[in-house]
Amino acid sequence: MRLLTHNFLQSNVRGTVDGYPLKIEGTNIVVENSSMDSNLVRKVLPKLNYPALVAAINDIRNEEGEEDNNNNISESVLKALHFFLFDVHVIEGCLICPGTDRRFPIKDGIPNMILHEDEV
Amino acid sequence: MTVISMEHIVPVVNKTAAIQQQQRYLVLVEFVYRHLNFQLAELKSILEAHGIHLGSSSGSSSGCEILPLPVPPTNRSISNRAFVILSFPIEEAKRWSGLTQTHEEQQLWGCSSTNLKDCANQSFQWLNRKTNNNEVESSSSSQSSSSFQRDCILPLVCDDPERPWKFTIHTLGTKVRRDEQDLMRKTFQDTLDSLKGPVKLDDPTTQEFLLIREIELDGKGSALLRTAATNNNNNNNNKTSSDDNDDDNNSNNITEMTSSQKNNKNNKDAYYNTDAIAYYFGRVLGGRIRSNEGSRGLDHYSLKSRPYLGPTSMDAELSFVMTSLGKVTTESIVYDPFVGTGSILLACAMRGAYCIGSDIDIRVLRGRGGNQTIWKNFDHYKLPRPEIVRSDNALYHRHYRHHRPTTTTHISSSTTATTTTATTTNIAPHLYDAIICDPPYGIRAGARQTGSKLDNPRPVLEENRHNHIAQTKTYSVSDVMSDLLDVAASTLKVGGRLVYIIPSFRDFEEDRDLPRHDCLELIDSCFQPFSNDLGRRIVAMKKIIDYDVSKRTEYLQSIWIDGAESAEKCANLRDKIMEAAREKPGYEEKAAIRKVKRKANKEAKKQEKKRSKQEENQSQQIKSTI
Repeated sequence: MRLLTHNFLQSNVRGTVDGYPLKIEGTNIVVENSSMDSNLVRKVLPKLNYPALVAAINDIRNEEGEEDNNNNISESVLKALHFFLFDVHVIEGCLICPGTDRRFPIKDGIPNMILHEDEV
Repeated sequence: MTVISMEHIVPVVNKTAAIQQQQRYLVLVEFVYRHLNFQLAELKSILEAHGIHLGSSSGSSSGCEILPLPVPPTNRSISNRAFVILSFPIEEAKRWSGLTQTHEEQQLWGCSSTNLKDCANQSFQWLNRKTNNNEVESSSSSQSSSSFQRDCILPLVCDDPERPWKFTIHTLGTKVRRDEQDLMRKTFQDTLDSLKGPVKLDDPTTQEFLLIREIELDGKGSALLRTAATNNNNNNNNKTSSDDNDDDNNSNNITEMTSSQKNNKNNKDAYYNTDAIAYYFGRVLGGRIRSNEGSRGLDHYSLKSRPYLGPTSMDAELSFVMTSLGKVTTESIVYDPFVGTGSILLACAMRGAYCIGSDIDIRVLRGRGGNQTIWKNFDHYKLPRPEIVRSDNALYHRHYRHHRPTTTTHISSSTTATTTTATTTNIAPHLYDAIICDPPYGIRAGARQTGSKLDNPRPVLEENRHNHIAQTKTYSVSDVMSDLLDVAASTLKVGGRLVYIIPSFRDFEEDRDLPRHDCLELIDSCFQPFSNDLGRRIVAMKKIIDYDVSKRTEYLQSIWIDGAESAEKCANLRDKIMEAAREKPGYEEKAAIRKVKRKANKEAKKQEKKRSKQEENQSQQIKSTI
């Protein structure tokens, strides 16, 4: 699972008010470098939820991000975003609903978001 | 995907078109024979994806248009032709060269005519024009643009006279008699002699010249064969004045049969007896993929060569057709909500798209045992892995967030990136450029959705939650389709496309029974027949307006015009196929025979099992006595 996908997933167990963003608990996180398509990154940018992305990055790094006050999107920022969105893969771990603490397991890179019958 | 071959003739006069094709390229496009019905829709989509719009055939000087194919002089109308001739102005050559680079299956071509000798003459003329092009071009074209034109032409026309070459004959999968083969080679002798380069068969820089002998095809793309016996009776009907070499025109009222009968010994002669309806000659552009071409062709992508397969994997050619209809390019984000073994996403990934897939089926997670997982095929072709999520398309809006960040941004000092204040607009982000899928209709795989059969399911104990297997219930086809259209309408960008496959029985009416959505417009629906009763359609829809969440119930209600009745027509097809089979004469007898056979088989197996058990017992007894 890439962080781009994480940015769009939410938990909606019955009765959950605040199921977004999901917390990441990764036990196996792999970085796989891929060639950057800056057009693709640019295209994705307006669709992202940035607080969620920052939270996700913090989840996988377990540390505060470096300060960067650069607002205009330069090539280096694009590169950094590309790295986090497309190159970081959570292979094993869990996604945790912030509202209900329901854990959605990630196995072999595939998050299992299926709700149980009593959660629909 | 379609095999596309192209042709470029600079000032050759096409016999069928009255317009002088000055300053235009002619391009011949060849399609995969198995999916002829989809050809025009697909071509249009590919061209549009590259910013080329098909103009009217009024002979206007700008834009791209389709020219009529050469017709044999017998005036017999011929359907099912795998070729299209496109004509476009030289100024657009740059765009075209981009197109041929991204779609490597395209070929650029030389010449076309109904009879072999004409074809050869035309290409000879054209080639000679090109070799001393400086004089000819400047004299025939307007002065100033001449150098500009040559710049544009360069990617399409190879002007290096020393380049190695080879000559191939393509007969659409039929055999041709030796004398005719010789004839074909000899007729093109002059043309080939004027090529200066050496002959090399498998050098990567080799340019390939290709002669296509077009024959008549049946609806499924195999050759129509003619019996020799009746061949001579009707010679005088429509014999037109043609060259001596042209002996291919006597095809009125000749009994037709399909190549499936070719194994019949009596018809051995007929195997060779196909009449050419047209010849095309030209230079191949880019690499080509032809289905009978071994490892270089589509076979490389065929299902057989993939490490991970399922019963519902989509065949390679059709997946490519679907990606073309979905206008998938290198920058597309594509979603498949019924990903299965990932066969459709694989085709999208080959087009360079970023792929996301989801499925409710547990096999998405587990694969088929061992290391047989969905990733296997992507690794096999060295493509980037897609994003796969196990989620339920019926609950799409609960699995994926709705709110879209608004455009007001401010800088937050504590974070690495610009922070966007997200307001809940309750609209899913317009993430996808295309949604391409093969929804489950219950023919090979039935659809499931989360939930229990019971109204009040038993709660799952918290300590068992982590390895509880979620229950699923059946998911009716009408709901599958309305959820699919609704998800597409709310998550596609405006202008994005939804492409899906729907099976149809003979009672299916396209105007009334196809599901519809106010935000989606039907672009194309192409029918592929399987038998007299059954077939399937590829439907392509385009999102035209923004999705209005407050109208969701209205949207959902208007999806089926005739309500669930329409959905029923594509559901439970297995039963309908059985029913149709029962109506056929002789069904009872055949069924009885089958029953007897089945019984005998079962009995034989039982006996064998018994015997092997006895032998085992005996051997054990012997052992124990020893």
